[in-house]
Amino acid sequence: MDNIENVELIVVGGGPAGLSAALAASDYGIKVVLAEEREFLGGQLIKQTHRFFGSEKEYAGTRGIDILKRLIEDVKNREDIKILASSRVLGIYEDNVVTILNNNKMKKYIPQAIILATGASEKFLAFENNDLPGVFGAGAVQTLMNVYGVLPAKKILMVGSGNIGLIVSYQLLQAGVSVAAVIEAAPKIGGYSVHASKLKRLGIPILTSHTIKKAVGNKKVEGAIICELDNNWQEIKDTEEFIECDAICLSVGLTPLIDLLKQRKVKTVYVSELGGYIPLRDENMETSIMNLFVAGDVSGIEEATAAMIEGQISGLTVAKRINKNQKEEIQRKIEEAKKELVLLRSGPVGEKIRKGLSKIGLNHGENYDESILKEEFDISYLMKTGVPSKENLESKFPKDKKIFDKGPIAISECFQKFPCDPCVKSCPFNAISENGNINNIPYVDFEKCTGCRICVSKCPGLAMFVVHKNYTETSSLITMPYEFLPRPKKGELVNVYDRDGKIICEGKVIKILDSSFQDKTAAVSVEVPKEHFLEARNFKVRYLKHE
Amino acid sequence: MRIEQHPILEFKRGKVVTFFYNGKEITAYEGETIAAALYASGIYTFSYSKKLNRPRGIFCAIGHCSSCLMEVDGVANVRTCVTLVKEGMKVKSQNMDVTKHGQY
Repeated sequence: MDNIENVELIVVGGGPAGLSAALAASDYGIKVVLAEEREFLGGQLIKQTHRFFGSEKEYAGTRGIDILKRLIEDVKNREDIKILASSRVLGIYEDNVVTILNNNKMKKYIPQAIILATGASEKFLAFENNDLPGVFGAGAVQTLMNVYGVLPAKKILMVGSGNIGLIVSYQLLQAGVSVAAVIEAAPKIGGYSVHASKLKRLGIPILTSHTIKKAVGNKKVEGAIICELDNNWQEIKDTEEFIECDAICLSVGLTPLIDLLKQRKVKTVYVSELGGYIPLRDENMETSIMNLFVAGDVSGIEEATAAMIEGQISGLTVAKRINKNQKEEIQRKIEEAKKELVLLRSGPVGEKIRKGLSKIGLNHGENYDESILKEEFDISYLMKTGVPSKENLESKFPKDKKIFDKGPIAISECFQKFPCDPCVKSCPFNAISENGNINNIPYVDFEKCTGCRICVSKCPGLAMFVVHKNYTETSSLITMPYEFLPRPKKGELVNVYDRDGKIICEGKVIKILDSSFQDKTAAVSVEVPKEHFLEARNFKVRYLKHE
Repeated sequence: MRIEQHPILEFKRGKVVTFFYNGKEITAYEGETIAAALYASGIYTFSYSKKLNRPRGIFCAIGHCSSCLMEVDGVANVRTCVTLVKEGMKVKSQNMDVTKHGQY
């Protein structure tokens, strides 16, 4: 046949999963064609300005945009990876032909294997006027704001409190947009508590058991009507409330983009825990069609770290099949990646994923230590409000309060089990430990801690603080992470807030760590009256008023 | 409106280009999409629903929702959210009854 090129591997999608798959396969000499619909690589990583959770080995503590830079650089340096940007894969046919539209030209390939890493699309929500301009998917808001530097609105209502809703709300605040509230239909916050706490400290209301009834406006959003829900998710009478805003951001989940899989008649099954219809696949990411693999969100909604590992597993499996010489080494790599993935999903927040995977016959973690599966604390109050309870806090403060007198010490305000370890890895004195499992809650050994402040900038959840109780006779010094503009100046007076976002006192900026090592999460030490040393957890620079 | 300063990101904007939206001159930067440039210029309505003629804005911004389809240089149904601006480009809105809605 004319014009049909035989290739070893086609990877569809240049996001974290696709890039990792291409890299893993090319590590073992596989020639890869990487097709990406957009003109640039990176998928959704291009707008992730926050630091990632997970293990340091898989880039935790690094901002999504920086992970992307490393992956892209790596991919571009590989001669074995041919990048087809602005290329839409139109068809995958039964005779194995793949057609790709590139610069208005149709290209045809016959690959030995295909890895589909097409990602996911945003779910929608039914309410009156939901089609008004100004109703956005959370991803669109991120694209406008973080990719093109365009302000999506002045004041936004966020619908949905999963990690995306919480993270995008924080990013909106960083870009200078105000967030009217985050509303959540469920009785508890969906995302990680540390993300919720970040918003609460900034004074953003998080309203659980609330939903949107209507978007208000004529030609564009001018507000929203929200209401409260009871335990059966039914509207409670007379709880309607008008919220003024010029945009409504929907962050109500994602669903896998399985169009190409359907075209090739891959078996799919509905798994609500994984976002909708997902392909049946084995633990090497191979679907019901031989040599057709999936990786990342298209195989079930998870997050970028898991997507990258899945990419590696699928890429390595293809390599093992085609590469004749290094089978044992590749197999060892595959096993390593699988272990990493199991560890990542082994905590309480991985429960949903594990449940979803068990529905397609993949069992993750039958042999877990029971103690890791259960939350260590009662975090129901925290997950309802975003603010840790007194008991939660007490458990992370030193039992012997005299330790506060020894000098500055780090306080970890991290109460929920999820896979994350940058604080542990950052401590030069081995004072922070999580007891062997990445899902465990980190604890500070106050005897070893010197109060060096390194962990304050390293924690992706902004949950590390350094407290120096007796800074002077009457004042304490609190070192807090700060990611906003304008940056404070030494000696400047700032407003100091508690964990609930309430202003409690005035503080004075004493020290600022803001070098490249801090990577734009400055560690700012603020002097506050001593009685507030256990409450002061945020500050805002006072904007100069023109008189 | 554009973000001028950002605590994490630096926006390295390309050179200024101008294009035409329904005859109106729009200033944009090389490397940005038509939809981003229009939104930055205060245009929030991107299309109208066929049956009830209701205004539609950007929803997904990554080429999946089709609420930002426009005619670009004579080609209909172009996804403006994934199509980059070009100097002198002519962009026209579709399904738009100007007498009803006025010029946007």
